[in-house]
Amino acid sequence: MTSAEVYWEVHAFLAYEARLLDEERYPEWLDLFCDDAHYWVPGVENRGRADTEGSYAPSRMAYFDDTLDDLRRRVVRFTAPTAWAEDPATRHLHVVSNIEVEDTDTAGELLVRSVIVNHRGQGDIDSATLYGRREDVLRRTPEGLRIARRLVVLRHAVLPAKNINTFF
Amino acid sequence: MTTGTDPELLSLCGLDDGWLDRRVFWDQAVYELELERIFARCWLFVAHESQLPKPGSFLTTWMGEDNVLVVRRRDGSIGAYLNSCPHRGNRVCTAEAGTARGFVCNYHGWSFGLDGTLNGVHESAAYGREPTFDQARLGLTPVARLDTYKGLVFATFDPDAPPLRDYLGEFTYYLDVMLDNDAGGTEFAGGSIKSVLGCNWKIAAENFAGDALHAGWTHASGAEAMIGRGVAELGADDADSYHVNAHGHCWEFNLDGVGNAATLGDKRIMNYLRENQERVAERLGELRARMVGSISSVNVFPNFSFLPGQNTFRTWQPKGPHRTELHTWVLVNRNAPPEVKDAWRKGAMMTFSPSGVFEMDDGENWELATRSNQGVVTRRQRLYYGLGSDTAIDHPELPGNVHRGQINDANQRAFYRRWSQLLRAATWDDLEKTR
Repeated sequence: MTSAEVYWEVHAFLAYEARLLDEERYPEWLDLFCDDAHYWVPGVENRGRADTEGSYAPSRMAYFDDTLDDLRRRVVRFTAPTAWAEDPATRHLHVVSNIEVEDTDTAGELLVRSVIVNHRGQGDIDSATLYGRREDVLRRTPEGLRIARRLVVLRHAVLPAKNINTFF
Repeated sequence: MTTGTDPELLSLCGLDDGWLDRRVFWDQAVYELELERIFARCWLFVAHESQLPKPGSFLTTWMGEDNVLVVRRRDGSIGAYLNSCPHRGNRVCTAEAGTARGFVCNYHGWSFGLDGTLNGVHESAAYGREPTFDQARLGLTPVARLDTYKGLVFATFDPDAPPLRDYLGEFTYYLDVMLDNDAGGTEFAGGSIKSVLGCNWKIAAENFAGDALHAGWTHASGAEAMIGRGVAELGADDADSYHVNAHGHCWEFNLDGVGNAATLGDKRIMNYLRENQERVAERLGELRARMVGSISSVNVFPNFSFLPGQNTFRTWQPKGPHRTELHTWVLVNRNAPPEVKDAWRKGAMMTFSPSGVFEMDDGENWELATRSNQGVVTRRQRLYYGLGSDTAIDHPELPGNVHRGQINDANQRAFYRRWSQLLRAATWDDLEKTR
């Protein structure tokens, strides 16, 4: 059981992170990651319960399977003036909920589970809503909490969207 | 001919002069005819053999709007069946992939073997008393024919379709660039990514068939992210590049060897391609060795596309005239080192997947290019497809219809010409005579 103080610290951190994404403040968002961070959003397959392969795995295709450098590359595309599809801007909303915080065996690292709902309004009438469960390892650093690992398991086998021009 | 389709539209008057009727992207009646005369007749990509490694391996996919179950049978052969129970029509397999001993329908318990035969039923005594019940005739409906080309599995619903080798024709010369550049052959990296686009399937297919033109403009920001600069202009007078097509299958390319591959930004891939170039040249000749990772894109008619270099393989599954489901996989050489295979899996993700820095910019263009045609007056305005009208050449080495220059609409015209011929021809014999 973590203290109420730590719980609220994590809650505030995740709410702040979500607002950075809503406001497309990507360089500041990247600053919330550790240098050795792994950001993974695996592709999810519609497989049977008895299937030992599971619905996702590290060796299979993913939406994101990124180091911090990979994330930086994506941000270059988002912020390039030639990213025509980003203008007019997407209307992002990142809702974070169901937050659970656990201590880990590693000093200074917390295991944080949460649920993410990402809604994007685009152009005049386009919208897409994606749902996923997250599992983060947050590390305590001199600068505050930082994301060391993130896993987002989407609730979709066929992505109900044409793209993912955001992060979760 | 289906009522409601205009014969003049289907013959695509004006295409030879470089004009396309927008109704091909919008009309429900045209779409219904496509399902009957293209998707229920052509050879369609259904799997890579590596996705079905052992007896019982299966996957479900689409042939047009027909859901199909593709299975590795006990004898090692591959079968494909309509994924619909002959009793009440329910799907008999609800997973997209896996391993099974057989398939049991959830509704009334009809049970099918890997070869599609009906092996058993729930409440069998009742059926036993029924003279009309002929178990041997109530198996899953198989496709008309299934065949492979160097690892790729194709199927057709049409028993009169020409053999797969004839359907592909001279295009196999080009397919070998991807499928036979290494002695070990190819496989799909694990998994697949699926997404939904609000566009007509042909807008995506024609993009891969020939649209090198959009690369430098649409994908300027993606190139900035992956190679630190924009895409160089591809249309110089002396550009060593081509549009080639055969039977509606299209490949646009230059001969820079690594232009597409370079966008993955991974040295392991570049080193692998460079180290192999000489061996590839021994297998396929100097010219094709320079196509392996070059700036290029491909569509195998009607809806199976890929990008050499990025190695994304995909189908554009039609879901109505204004909706497409995109299924993607990553092709690698089976004998490539594991770290190179993994680099390709990641590289395709970074570039051509729903989160990829290139693909992200395609979807909106295709959706709005489709949706504009809702306007009845907009729909009356023809679209310009006139680039490269006099670029046809004879080439000493390249087979099929060859056009000089990859900034060209020649392949797109060839794609729609094939489309038009198939919609108008009642039989494959007619097709040969249809201009």
